[in-house]
Amino acid sequence: MKRFVYINDDEASKELCCDNRISNTKYNLWNFFPKNLLEQFSRFMNQYFLLIACLQLWSLITPVNPASTWGPLIFIFAVSASKEAWDDYHRYLSDKKANEREVWIVKHGIKKHIQAQDIQVGNIVWLRENDEVPCDLVLLGTSDPQGVCYVETAALDGETDLKTRVIPSACVGIDLELLHKMKGVIECPIPDKDIRRFDANMRLFPPFIDNDVCSLTIKNTLLQSCYLRNTEWACGVSVYTGNQTKLGMCRGVAEPKLTAMDAMIDKLTGAIFVFQIVVVLVLGVAGNVWKDTEARKQWYVQYPEEAPWYELLVIPLRFELLCSIMIPISIKVSLDLVKGLYAKFIEWDVEMVDQETGTASYAANTAISEDLGQVEYILTDKTGTLTDNKMIFRRCCIGGIFYGNENGDALKDTQLLDAITSGSTDVIRFLTVMAICNTVIPVRSKAGEIIYKAQSQDEDALVAAAAKLHMVFVGKNANRLELMFNGVMIRYEVLEILEFTSDRKRMSVVVRDCQNGKIILLSKGADESILPSACAGQQTRTIAEAVEHYAQLGLRTLCLAWRELEEDEYLEWSVKFKEASSVLVDREWRIAEVCQRLEHDLYILGVTAIEDRLQDGVPETIETLRKAGINFWMLTGDKQNTAIQIALSCNFISPEPKGQLLLIDGKSEEDVSRSLERVLLTMRTTTSEPKDVAFVVDGWALEIALKHHRKDFVELAILSRTAICCRVTPSQKAQLVEILKSCDYRTLAIGDGGNDVRMIQQADIGVGISGREGLQAARAADYSIGRFRFLKRLILVHGRYSYNRTAFLSQYSFYKSLLICFIQIFFSFISGVSGTSLFNSVSLMAYNVFYTSVPVLVSVIDKDLSETTVMQHPQILFYCQAGRLLNPSTFAGWFGRSLFHAIVVFVITIHAYAYEKSEMEELGMVALSGCIWLQAFVVAQETNSFTVLQHLSIWGNLVGFYVINFLFSAIPSSGMYTIMFRLCSQPSYWITMFLIVGAGMGPIFALKYYRYTYRPSKINILQQAERMGGPILTLGNIETQPRTIIEKDVSPISIMSTQPKNRSPVYEPLLSESPNAIRRSFGPGTPFEFFQSQSRLSSSSGYTRNCKDN
Amino acid sequence: MMEVDGSNTSMNRAPPPPPQSSSLRSSRSKVLYQFKQQKLPACKPVLTPTSVITVFMLMGFVFIPIGFVTLRASRDAIEIVDRYDVECIPEEYRTNKLSYITDSSISKNCTRYLKVQKHMKAPIFIYYQLDNYYQNHRRYVKSRSDQQLLHGREYSHTSACEPEESSNDGLPIVPCGLIAWSMFNDTFTFAQLKVSRNNIAWKSDREHKFGKDVYPFNFQNGSLVGGAKLDPKVPLSDQEDFIVWMRAAALLSFRKLYGRIEEDLEPGSVVVVNLFNNYNTYSFSGQKKLILSTSSWLGGRNDFLGITYIVVGASSIVISIIFILLHLKNPRPYGDNSWNKKSLSS
Repeated sequence: MKRFVYINDDEASKELCCDNRISNTKYNLWNFFPKNLLEQFSRFMNQYFLLIACLQLWSLITPVNPASTWGPLIFIFAVSASKEAWDDYHRYLSDKKANEREVWIVKHGIKKHIQAQDIQVGNIVWLRENDEVPCDLVLLGTSDPQGVCYVETAALDGETDLKTRVIPSACVGIDLELLHKMKGVIECPIPDKDIRRFDANMRLFPPFIDNDVCSLTIKNTLLQSCYLRNTEWACGVSVYTGNQTKLGMCRGVAEPKLTAMDAMIDKLTGAIFVFQIVVVLVLGVAGNVWKDTEARKQWYVQYPEEAPWYELLVIPLRFELLCSIMIPISIKVSLDLVKGLYAKFIEWDVEMVDQETGTASYAANTAISEDLGQVEYILTDKTGTLTDNKMIFRRCCIGGIFYGNENGDALKDTQLLDAITSGSTDVIRFLTVMAICNTVIPVRSKAGEIIYKAQSQDEDALVAAAAKLHMVFVGKNANRLELMFNGVMIRYEVLEILEFTSDRKRMSVVVRDCQNGKIILLSKGADESILPSACAGQQTRTIAEAVEHYAQLGLRTLCLAWRELEEDEYLEWSVKFKEASSVLVDREWRIAEVCQRLEHDLYILGVTAIEDRLQDGVPETIETLRKAGINFWMLTGDKQNTAIQIALSCNFISPEPKGQLLLIDGKSEEDVSRSLERVLLTMRTTTSEPKDVAFVVDGWALEIALKHHRKDFVELAILSRTAICCRVTPSQKAQLVEILKSCDYRTLAIGDGGNDVRMIQQADIGVGISGREGLQAARAADYSIGRFRFLKRLILVHGRYSYNRTAFLSQYSFYKSLLICFIQIFFSFISGVSGTSLFNSVSLMAYNVFYTSVPVLVSVIDKDLSETTVMQHPQILFYCQAGRLLNPSTFAGWFGRSLFHAIVVFVITIHAYAYEKSEMEELGMVALSGCIWLQAFVVAQETNSFTVLQHLSIWGNLVGFYVINFLFSAIPSSGMYTIMFRLCSQPSYWITMFLIVGAGMGPIFALKYYRYTYRPSKINILQQAERMGGPILTLGNIETQPRTIIEKDVSPISIMSTQPKNRSPVYEPLLSESPNAIRRSFGPGTPFEFFQSQSRLSSSSGYTRNCKDN
Repeated sequence: MMEVDGSNTSMNRAPPPPPQSSSLRSSRSKVLYQFKQQKLPACKPVLTPTSVITVFMLMGFVFIPIGFVTLRASRDAIEIVDRYDVECIPEEYRTNKLSYITDSSISKNCTRYLKVQKHMKAPIFIYYQLDNYYQNHRRYVKSRSDQQLLHGREYSHTSACEPEESSNDGLPIVPCGLIAWSMFNDTFTFAQLKVSRNNIAWKSDREHKFGKDVYPFNFQNGSLVGGAKLDPKVPLSDQEDFIVWMRAAALLSFRKLYGRIEEDLEPGSVVVVNLFNNYNTYSFSGQKKLILSTSSWLGGRNDFLGITYIVVGASSIVISIIFILLHLKNPRPYGDNSWNKKSLSS
């Protein structure tokens, strides 16, 4: 499918009939109610409640006023509808602002000022410096004579550097005046969301000179939401407008993620629903039987002999309505509320603010905080995530000579400096490649300094290093590059740029040396993509060794190469290149193929080695999280050796003899399968040993393994706690996440770059590091944090608390609903199984929504253990991972508790208020107050730490209950007029309440104490230790150790610093020694060692996650 | 038992400065900051053996006395219970009580002699008690119209009153509904005793729930006569027996106030009650009782609260003793999990 855009032709563009109105809103004024209602009713819970509410309209069966369900239902619907409306209104406002922005366009040959929303496809839009681009444009002209302009694409891809955009070759040299009258046609693909591709062609109509088809690429476009910088003006023709722009197409509604806890709550709700149906059926049958036997004798009930056909249904339906309260209507709203607060806590946390940049953490997805506490696998990117992504040029090897080996810094290596002054050809060529084989833009700041705007940190490091080595890249004017070498200006003309793609893994430029007119190809790239194209005869062994050596030091390497081209060769190739650049289909692949033809017979100049420092606190974070039973996988695009080295230095894997690395490699299917089998065999045998076994796989082997031995690989994934996957592509990263997810593990993916986006979106939880590689990952992620080390806090503190709190909140919600429901059921046994409600409508309506929801909401600030304790004993996370606080067995406990409490309340009430006191309204209120009192004490007993808010809400709620009821008791027309005053003036009422609390809480409290003291969970032990102060020392061997280590780790761990000085460049077995001084063992006396084995067990079987919490 | 957490955390790690400028740290913003950082000072109760044992001991020592006091109050209330529904049927009808009660031609007169065992102080409440009577049956309890009771005939939305909403000729019934229709109609007269039949209904009911100008209309005119008839000349708000009956009971056995004896009864004296045994409880094997009862501060005689208090109190002392023994037998410093590790891993 193609789209033809006629430039500056109003009639022709009409048929595309698409204006530039942006609309991100979900609703409009007319469809808000139907659409929102429809959306809300697509949830099962809401359908259920609607059914109940409708049944209540049938007065024959409703036990109470229909308002008792309609009220809360409408309230809850109103809450979520107004939240939606509020969000949508804000979207509408921001759209409106964007739509009504004023822009200059050309209409009928005249420049006009219109609103952005009125731009039509084919209009010519004029922009001035610092203007925001209103829609996707194809550049036609700029203020720059060369037709270059600069844009900032931060809103699009998060990259903050400036990018160059050039006008299509056909438009070069068109006069400013003529631009108004320009006519032509652009053949472009239908709108898509690929912001890195735009494969189109343009043909200008006469009288414009160039009548040929001119190919367009993304370099010729200005995309919506970018900003024009450093360019006086630019104009372009709009090709995609409104919601069809690349940015507009990118916006999608993300699939809502469901947490494991939500799934468990749904399951429990389902179970309760089944229970309710059973109760309804049993009571319904019993009611009908009673009616036909007993009720006929009760003359005062006047049961008719003849009954309509539906009479049999009436009693079951009545019970259905009575029991409908069993599923708490408020749980969804409560959960949404507290989840919102969890997210806010993450954003408010000052300990998760990156002090350097001041960026706070951000929770884009407010619904999945509990999942953070249940993470089992963390898949992490390396560059920029574990490391700083602050590249520093450290060493190089030019022509077989190693520079920078002595002091670890090539810039200070006198040997290299000497070589530069002496003018060694290889060295100068090497520096030239460093300086100009890139897409860096030098910008002169006001102070006269040169600032490099680079898209990649590596390029930035190379150019900056070259400048320090006297090869200064001073200016770029369109195609002309200026280099200053030792005070001499050297000029180059850029002929072609063969861009970097992750498939090619190299980039090249073709330049013409303006001094002698020679055409040169400069290449840089990964060793495996450069070395095979080395010219025949050159010894690449030293280069390969250098690469190997640097990789072992954890440095990133790039090979630099050079070739002089013949004029003919270039011209011939150039035609092919142009051809390839103008195809619409498979352009990328075609270009790669053409580039391949030029990049051969390269003369390898040398290797650069760039250091990427580890972020602060990475080793401790990984160590702590591994102790918490979380398995780490490292997925990186980097080389195997570099990856292993980084992995060692950040506690990812243990050095021998404690750890063992198993390599899966091979180029063919057989090799890979054999190696996979061998690794699997070792894994199976070593699972019983307390050894850290990790496997290492590279992208190639991974692809084969996934294609042919998926089953084996999945087994390996289950067995292995640690894995390093190097040289993997973004889609492979996502595939690995998928595999772990398919084994029912909770996965967290963390990354910082655009190549991690897919993995982040795929994982249960995506965490983005708002780092230097732009915000792309952070945007796609559920959570974005400033530094990797915040992950520890995010999981151990926020995730764990969220899990605990939600576990309590949800189970408590069911408890309170079941409690009142059981009382109704018991009452039905003494009311002739006729479905009478003991409680009045007001009580039933207010019970779930007001009386019982406030104290439990405040449980969101409850902490079972202090943050410090959790950090010191990360093993405690196991309780969350295994779901020990919310599972059918804990739920059964709450179920039993509500049954017990219902019996207590019911029995005491009907006996204490027997005979002359047995008035219906009074008895109902006594039972209700009994429930409310018990609720308050249950919440109080389950609260671990009382803050002012808890006291206020628990006891304040109790007071509130009486206030509300006094109010209702003061209204003469209400059914409960004077009831509450009457009750409260009776001593017997208060004595009854006291008895209910004593009898209801005593056994619960005794049981809690017994379990707390004699069958304590680990949480209890830590609570005791933490609160008693003293005995924490018995667990202290964990506590004291990290303290000293933290001090050690305050200085950022550089890989360099941990390296022994004089390492021979010869290949050594990687794990023969520990290069990592800070590595510490798990400690033989660690009291929590059993956690490790247990969590291991749980991860291998996936069975113990439901095991009972004792 | 309690420990304030705020100081605890600040000891380990100095809290980072709040993002607001520190000069503006009023106490309110400080609390807000603490809330946002989840660092509000908190009390963390610890379940130490001592504290828990003390709590249970205390509970026992509080509950048992309360139990005795309550029991004493209950015993202070003296009551005479007389079941008359069987005795008041002449011998010849004993086998077919139903025909006796439904035959309106037979006199239902009956005399009961109640012997006073203990001194009873005025006021002595006269109750009638019905057993196995489902006043809480859904069909029954819903069959009334509060609006009609208050506003009278002009209120016509009385569909809830079915099947006693209107008579066959379409005239509305006031008061409508099964409860009103089935009103208790046994009467008791006490010879030689000063009996007050006023103020037996709740004042609030008389004033706000039953209309002063609502008169019974078309009541008990149907083919099926239920219970008592009401004087059509007396407004509902003055028909106290009716108001009392309209307060439906939640339980199967319930007592309703009939009147008050306003003089003391000496031990050994006999109260003679003339009653009309009109109400049909025989079809559903219900019971009718006449009760004379004094009242203590806790109400009538009901031992349940006192006994339960003593039982709960005693069991909490037992629990605390068990905990003491457990603690003595198995003393364990807190936070020590060495023994636990073994038990869990085995």
